[in-house]
Amino acid sequence: MTSAANASHVASALSVVDVLSSLYTGTALITPENSEAKDRDIVILSKGHAASALYAVLALQGFFPMDWLQNYCQDDAPLGGHVTSKGVPGIELSTGSLGHGLPYGVGIAMIRKLTGNAGRVFVVMSDGECNEGTTWESAMIANHHNLDNLVVIVDRNRIQSLTFTEDTLKLEPFADKWEAFGWETRIVNGHDYNELKIACMNSESPICVIAETTKGKGVDFMENSVLWHYKSPGGSDVAKAFIQLSENY
Amino acid sequence: MRDTFAQTLFEEAKKDKNIILMTGDLGFGVLDRFQQELPKQFVNSGVNEQTLMGMAAGIASTGKRVFVYSIGNFPTLRCLEQIRNDVCLMNNSVVVVSVGAGYAYGPQGYTHHALEDIAVMRALPNMQVIVPADPIETRLLTQLLVKTNLPSYLRLGRSNEKNIHSKDIDITQGRFIEIEKGKFGTLIFSGSIGDIALKAAANLKFINYPVSVVSCPFITNLDREYLLEAAAKGPIVTIEEHSSRGGLGSAILEFLSFAKITSSLAIIAADQNNPSQVGSQDFLRKSNGLSPERISENFIALLES
Repeated sequence: MTSAANASHVASALSVVDVLSSLYTGTALITPENSEAKDRDIVILSKGHAASALYAVLALQGFFPMDWLQNYCQDDAPLGGHVTSKGVPGIELSTGSLGHGLPYGVGIAMIRKLTGNAGRVFVVMSDGECNEGTTWESAMIANHHNLDNLVVIVDRNRIQSLTFTEDTLKLEPFADKWEAFGWETRIVNGHDYNELKIACMNSESPICVIAETTKGKGVDFMENSVLWHYKSPGGSDVAKAFIQLSENY
Repeated sequence: MRDTFAQTLFEEAKKDKNIILMTGDLGFGVLDRFQQELPKQFVNSGVNEQTLMGMAAGIASTGKRVFVYSIGNFPTLRCLEQIRNDVCLMNNSVVVVSVGAGYAYGPQGYTHHALEDIAVMRALPNMQVIVPADPIETRLLTQLLVKTNLPSYLRLGRSNEKNIHSKDIDITQGRFIEIEKGKFGTLIFSGSIGDIALKAAANLKFINYPVSVVSCPFITNLDREYLLEAAAKGPIVTIEEHSSRGGLGSAILEFLSFAKITSSLAIIAADQNNPSQVGSQDFLRKSNGLSPERISENFIALLES
């Protein structure tokens, strides 16, 4: 779908797609059937540029028809290049400007605690997104209000827009930062569903899961390359990518 | 106006648990009672307007009516993208409340002068901009805002504003509130600057040019019917404690232009020639061209042109 749409961010999508699959296949309690329920688990993909991964997962889980994927990013299509909420079942918040998803999720988690709603809130962020001040404002607030119903999953692929995260604006010691803000912090293999599921299990404080991932996961020429943050796969790249992905999964 | 707002919202929130009041660590002595008596409906997020606004949108997404209180430019310009994306585009039920319109915090300096907020807020999709003229309008408009779910911006003065209305009034969406009636033209103001408009009207009456004076609280939903009649009657002068670019005057000019009506209109707004100037609200109004004399001079010039 990224190729047909001549769209960007395929490597960002491959990096986070396992996290999203894990969430929508049982780590979070959200299905097409309960997607309107007041106590559903909320999943917010704050790194809105990985929209294609979310759309693919939602379609496979039956939130909307598979054929919507074919028109991704086309004129007047329901699915745009960044996560768009209106008219797309299963999507709670439109994102695309980084640093918006966590405050929104903190608001929902806080009001759920105040009103005794048992549903949990999951916010999936990019590591580059942790450059944003709202991330750390939210981290303070979630700790202060003891939002133990909130889980942040950071897609730690170590690459952001122009280069590696540590060459752009150092995040390390990353886990220590979240710990210092009062979050239960768990580092896992972000491509392992079991590890992800266990890491999201309840704690007595907000949870930060640092999902160690590979940008462009599963396609050797896309892995760990800044280029594929932008480049749209075309021609033989698409066939090669499909072959590798089908062999790896 | 801020006390009237806080008292009115408190009374409404006692009756309706869905009302949530949030603040970015401001409102000392103003929000105390709400906080003490309705702690489950009150959130002070700390000093973090962007996160505050994102949280407000998230809370509103669960079915709450959220009022976000702060002063000056902090709840508008500081978190503009959160208002645009998380509140307006998601159509979440958030009311942004800013205290200190125009030069209300005049002595505090440029950072605290709110002069571009109407222009910015009214450009946002789904956003209704509401500007009360006095405590009476503040009470009625707060009650009105509680009853709707639209993303909204409530622009308040500060404290000790006098009532411009001598009696209780009816407020209807999209209607001006007429305070005086005169056949030579119309002065349209928004916000707590009505006394200046009334003084200008008194000057004009003294020289036998009685004019109508109206308050315009609904900037994004103008009284079209009244405007068409006013444009046919005579000159219109708009008065606002805001930049001339994008405020009340602009909104009215746009309406008349789209309606293909050629009218004689003058916009009296803050000159902003010397943004770093400090001083009392009265001083800064005069210094920035917001005076009865300027209004009447402009009106007479239009009448004679």
